[in-house]
Amino acid sequence: MPDTASEARNRLIRRVVLDTCIAAAVVIGMGVMRGVYSNELMLFNFVVFLALAQGLNIIYGFTGYLPFGYVGFYGAGAYGFSLVVMHLHVPAMVGMAAAAGAALVLAVILLPLLRLSGAYFAIASMAAAQAVYEIVANPDLENITKGPYGVSLSDVFAPAFSYYTALAILAGTLLLVVWLRNSRFGMSLQAIRDDSVSAAMAGVSVVRGRTIAWLLSALVAGLVGGVFAWHISVFYPDTAFDLSVSIFSTVFLLFGGATTLCGPLLGVFILYGIYNVIGIAVPQYFQFTYGALIVLLVLFLPNGLVSLLTSRGIRVP
Amino acid sequence: MRSKALALGLLCIAAAAGPANAQPAAPTEIKIGALYASSGPYASISMPVFDGFKLWVDQVNASGGAEVKAFGKKIPIKLIAYDDQSSTATAATLYNQLITQDHVDLLVADSGSVLTSVGVPIAKEHKQFLFDVSGTGAAFFTDDNPYIALMADPVSTIWPHYISDYLADEGAKQGIKTVAILYSTNDFTGTQAAALKGFFERDGKVKVVYYQGVPTSTSNYTVLINNIAALNPDAVLELGYVGNDIAFLRNLQDSGSQFRFVFTIYAGTEKEEIEKNVGISAMTNIFSYVPASNYEYTPNFGMNLTEFHDAWLKKYPVGSNVAFGANAVYGYMAGLVIDRTLASTKSLDQMDIHDAVFGLSGQLKTLDSTFVLRKDGAQIGEVTPLGQLQPAGGKEELDLVAVYPPDLAKGKAVLGK
Repeated sequence: MPDTASEARNRLIRRVVLDTCIAAAVVIGMGVMRGVYSNELMLFNFVVFLALAQGLNIIYGFTGYLPFGYVGFYGAGAYGFSLVVMHLHVPAMVGMAAAAGAALVLAVILLPLLRLSGAYFAIASMAAAQAVYEIVANPDLENITKGPYGVSLSDVFAPAFSYYTALAILAGTLLLVVWLRNSRFGMSLQAIRDDSVSAAMAGVSVVRGRTIAWLLSALVAGLVGGVFAWHISVFYPDTAFDLSVSIFSTVFLLFGGATTLCGPLLGVFILYGIYNVIGIAVPQYFQFTYGALIVLLVLFLPNGLVSLLTSRGIRVP
Repeated sequence: MRSKALALGLLCIAAAAGPANAQPAAPTEIKIGALYASSGPYASISMPVFDGFKLWVDQVNASGGAEVKAFGKKIPIKLIAYDDQSSTATAATLYNQLITQDHVDLLVADSGSVLTSVGVPIAKEHKQFLFDVSGTGAAFFTDDNPYIALMADPVSTIWPHYISDYLADEGAKQGIKTVAILYSTNDFTGTQAAALKGFFERDGKVKVVYYQGVPTSTSNYTVLINNIAALNPDAVLELGYVGNDIAFLRNLQDSGSQFRFVFTIYAGTEKEEIEKNVGISAMTNIFSYVPASNYEYTPNFGMNLTEFHDAWLKKYPVGSNVAFGANAVYGYMAGLVIDRTLASTKSLDQMDIHDAVFGLSGQLKTLDSTFVLRKDGAQIGEVTPLGQLQPAGGKEELDLVAVYPPDLAKGKAVLGK
């Protein structure tokens, strides 16, 4: 029997409700965990990577662009926050707005990179992130950025408030992904990813779609970078522009499965969980274990863990 | 009725007297949490510190434990140590792990400013006193943070003043007029470079003709040395970490450039390590700091330098790939401060620990010279005499000879022509 419009609408509502419930469960769970488990920084790092993996999901999962230099937006956010807090002595929430602004400005400057694709785009974005790092860490800019000597934001240090702000950013990011997965705009992005020429022929604005996804993805990373600076309060440019932030986010996303809500969540919970268990207990085996897991994934599950279900026709939120 | 009232009265007295007389039970072990980096850019400074610290732990435990005044007995030390692999993100998580999960009694930071930096706000937040072994970053020490003290290194601005004093005094007399400063852009060496530049400008006797920062990851100095040689300075000061100094000294030898006075930090501070990597000829007549691993201070507690070196060689024999140097002394020194702290603290409460550590200031003399703290926790007791690596009496060896200031000098500096 053919679907009617109301059935389709009901199905969409059910999907949105289910996706939103999953997002809410993750956010509430991470909030509750803070009261249960006292290594707050470990939980904070989980929240950071959950949001970053979803932020990367927006640009890679929905448009197919994989920016190896994603950490550039994260670092820009961290320094956007730090500069206004250090020099203007504004409250932390104003700093968060500056973090978002810094990441968006950088994303606009780097918009021409979207003319590249595949490996060229990935490498160019990484070079751009490195260039931003070199500017921030330049000793001649010590009076502005503190150069390579690191920033100290002890005046606004507030671990609990910044943790819950990070949770709010995670909630917003998850809702954004839920919207993209169930909206006309998200569908048009996926059409662009699959075949941009056909999508354009069908009336989808390719440039507009990619630009919005790029800016949203950068915004998420910038906000996460800002809240990282706020939470950790003392850090060096090497930390804020550490390439491993990009690598971890990418691996978590690919491990779980892009374009879905649950894939990146699974990737972070499983891989970052293993990282913390092995990294603390037997760090010498960490790289071997991690490497083996990734090799197995690439060989047997190139589309991530969720492909175990999606390949059988089961929808994964 | 009267007996009931009497009993009630006795109970009240007992209840009132109880807390005052209650002696907290002595723990079966004192848990000390520490971080180290077995790999990555900071491994070369972190591992000798950690090995020096372990040497102290083993010695204390072999003697039945550390004397803890609060419990009036010796209690064994349990060392809980994690490898942060030179990553600040991992280090931050592990500092948290030690405080919140392992509930350590005492927290010891990893070596150097970068890996210490993330521990400072975490320790402050959890009101846990941080034994900062060698993190000299100026931003760590503030009047509003009582939960930190620097154990071994002096703060970075104190290190270089004998270099500028020597060049402005003896050097100027012998025709040293210009200096080039090449430094790695990190907290430790960047602060020293800025301090040196300020000293030279203040004294006005030696002109800074080259002042350049390079990333700490720099591993090739050939072009930089050529640039410096083009300006023909009399003195060249290269301020970097161990890896920087190794690369600089190798490239300097290969380039054939000659300067009258060449200084690097680790040629003397980690002499064994540098010697192994660049050879004696590249180090001859290089100036460096004279660290406690090359200068006999008279301690009033702990082993002296000779005894410590012997103990070190016994635990880490030649060929075991663990180099002896200043960082080894720093690790042991941190142990000695903890030893005296436990012997004098009223309890394991972190503010009592703070009071006990600061109570040692000016009183404790070790193989690392006198332990003196500023009120913000910065270490200002150590001195860093200027030394020169001079051939040792016809042998294929170099001695690090203290040449300045005159009251600490053991020999005379030899300037190039």
